[in-house]
Amino acid sequence: MSASPRHAQLTAVASHLPEAMLTNDALAQEFTDWSAQKILDKTGIAVRHLAAAGETASDLAFHAAEKLFAEHDIDRAGIDFLILCTQAPDHLLPSSACVLQQRLGLSTSCGALDFNLGCSGFVYALAMAQGLIEAGIRRQVLILTADTYSKLINPRDRSVRTLFGDGAAASLVTLGAAEPALGPFVLGTDGSGAGNLIVPAGGMRLARSAATAVEREDASGNWRSDNDLFMDGAEIVQFTLGAVPRTMQELLTTAGKTLADIDHVIFHQANKFMLDALRRKIKIPEEKFVIEIDTVGNTVSSTIPIAIARARQSGRIRRGDLALLLGFGVGYSWAGTLARL
Amino acid sequence: MQEFFDGMADILEIDAAQVAPALVLADYAWDSLAIISTIALVDDLFDQMLDGQALAACTTLADVQALIKPKA
Repeated sequence: MSASPRHAQLTAVASHLPEAMLTNDALAQEFTDWSAQKILDKTGIAVRHLAAAGETASDLAFHAAEKLFAEHDIDRAGIDFLILCTQAPDHLLPSSACVLQQRLGLSTSCGALDFNLGCSGFVYALAMAQGLIEAGIRRQVLILTADTYSKLINPRDRSVRTLFGDGAAASLVTLGAAEPALGPFVLGTDGSGAGNLIVPAGGMRLARSAATAVEREDASGNWRSDNDLFMDGAEIVQFTLGAVPRTMQELLTTAGKTLADIDHVIFHQANKFMLDALRRKIKIPEEKFVIEIDTVGNTVSSTIPIAIARARQSGRIRRGDLALLLGFGVGYSWAGTLARL
Repeated sequence: MQEFFDGMADILEIDAAQVAPALVLADYAWDSLAIISTIALVDDLFDQMLDGQALAACTTLADVQALIKPKA
């Protein structure tokens, strides 16, 4: 039997945030019935970063990748697959991943694809990377997650403007572990929730038009059109409080582990209210529960890798720690895994 | 039920002593965030998922209580 490493592992993570920032003071000036302190108390977010006009998700992904290469001394020539998770591609076609292959100077023997998921996307990308590597198809997979929800949000919609920030992360999954270091995976989908977190217009089903641009006020005083992001908060909370504890239990059972075996629980960083409710419900000890959202906001598919990068930087996560990663949201879509960090 | 009243006091940003079934929700901070907070509170205390639209239609705290089924 060969002793050569045949397992995939998540070896490096870096992130990039655009320069412009939206503070709670600025939001409180626009939405006068919520104070800056109340926004911070409820969301756990002090600052969100916003992409500039003309700055796209692929720009953010490019900078995250360059940072990953520089910070971790990675030779880009060795990367043989690029996965980009985004809901804001540069064009309808080609895939932004193909554009990024050229821009990042990756080999033309590198496979590249986009996929469209939100808050569950990072764990889905890990599952695909692990599959490519452990099936012997590829050896070094670059995962880029990037989104610019701020461009989809109506400025007069407090319900989402307080939560979402733009950002990107770059992660490298490589062949190199002698023991399994990623997985098992629990994946799930429930398309019956598609309408509860949606941008209705702009795709092939409903083209943007003068009619879809008409703004309407909802019962909570928020304004949006069919061109804008809509989130039914109550429905999303119901979905999350049901799906996340169930998925986590299924993951632990499949792995043959208990919460005591896990060093860090890193959920999609939706907002502090949601994370606190989940932590209480699942009874996760605070010292195991990573919250890294205060100066970032909800960056959709990048929240988990950004949290990993920050917790590593602060020394909270050490080499070899076992983390439970779980993403959930738009789709509905969810995914969980265990990762040796 | 005391834990429920304490939780509702937090959500409505009032003193726990002010919380009573006759309380008119619209007089306090009964907005979309309060509704989702109430869903999480009732799930935590009673292991029940309340419907957002049913909560939005509540006028008084007693209306919210009426949505909560007694524990079997």
